[in-house]
Amino acid sequence: MDEIISMFIDNELSIDDKMALVKRLKVDPEFFSETLALLEQDKLLRAEGLYPAPLLAVKAPGAVPGRLQGFLKDFFRPLVGPVGVMAVVVMVVLGVVLAHRPGPPAGVCPSRLVVYQPEAREVAVAGAFTGWEAVSMHAAGSSGYWEIRLDIPRGEHRFVYIADGHRRFADPTILTREQDDFGGENSILIVGQAI
Amino acid sequence: MIVFADFYRDHRDRLLAYLLRMTGDYELSCDLMQESFTRCLERYGCKGLKPSLLFTVARNAVYDHGRHCQVRHRSGRKLCQVPGNPEEHHLLREEYQRVLTAMQQLEPDEKDLLSLAATSIYSYREIAQQVGISEANVKVKVHRARMKLKKLLEEGKHHG
Repeated sequence: MDEIISMFIDNELSIDDKMALVKRLKVDPEFFSETLALLEQDKLLRAEGLYPAPLLAVKAPGAVPGRLQGFLKDFFRPLVGPVGVMAVVVMVVLGVVLAHRPGPPAGVCPSRLVVYQPEAREVAVAGAFTGWEAVSMHAAGSSGYWEIRLDIPRGEHRFVYIADGHRRFADPTILTREQDDFGGENSILIVGQAI
Repeated sequence: MIVFADFYRDHRDRLLAYLLRMTGDYELSCDLMQESFTRCLERYGCKGLKPSLLFTVARNAVYDHGRHCQVRHRSGRKLCQVPGNPEEHHLLREEYQRVLTAMQQLEPDEKDLLSLAATSIYSYREIAQQVGISEANVKVKVHRARMKLKKLLEEGKHHG
């Protein structure tokens, strides 16, 4: 087999190998065609940006008050090691859903919230954008993910996830949080200001 | 957070492309992408962020998900259902989708090796260390996977 073609595509050739390749390309039309075909195939294989990457909700730099930054540092320090103990990986996806949906009112972002809670029997989200009513999320098959699509107005919103009706938890992927009035924490989501 | 934001912007498209090659499923790829960035941030912090670590975490996330959900064997979920303007890059997307579909027909180890090679993040030596085979074996298997993909695409054209 002509692994040299793949090595060429993957930038694994020495200068001598490259010279040998060029010489062979010149004299072997079949080898030339195969090399070109594999290059075209790899161009597609490596294509980026054809599908929109989801937006990740992270507070804009510099927008976090100093006192909150200190709190966040203290919060995340113990998470670095024993985060697995939490047995949850929570994610927020803010995807702009353009297709298959009527256009949202101006100033509103169609958003998708996703959370990984394989042990939960039910998961809900409550926040400023739901009037702090718990809105049930949908299980994404048997994957352990729960998701919901909401039209959320642009701006800053507090929210929290609620598992099995009582276990409230903030989203660890969003570094901005604040303590609520009940000793827990809310995530602070900035809609329309994502990276 | 500036560091993380830059890191995310610099690598999100490449990581999503890698995950699409591995899963052929847009929504799953988006979920795994979020999970990978999250895990990376939690484990290594802003100062420890490296592309090679990110892709290793993403690869593990794919396999974790496969173990839990048997993603390769599930049915009923169409590949690459994506939002967006259907006219935009229509032909290119069609071709790309054909490649992603054909990728899912490769053997798991072939798909794994070719997906890693196509990230342009790892050398063959690094891929060999990651998957636990020799560098010479990577060289042979990557090329074999490429040729098999080409054959699958050609067969698809004839049948299509």
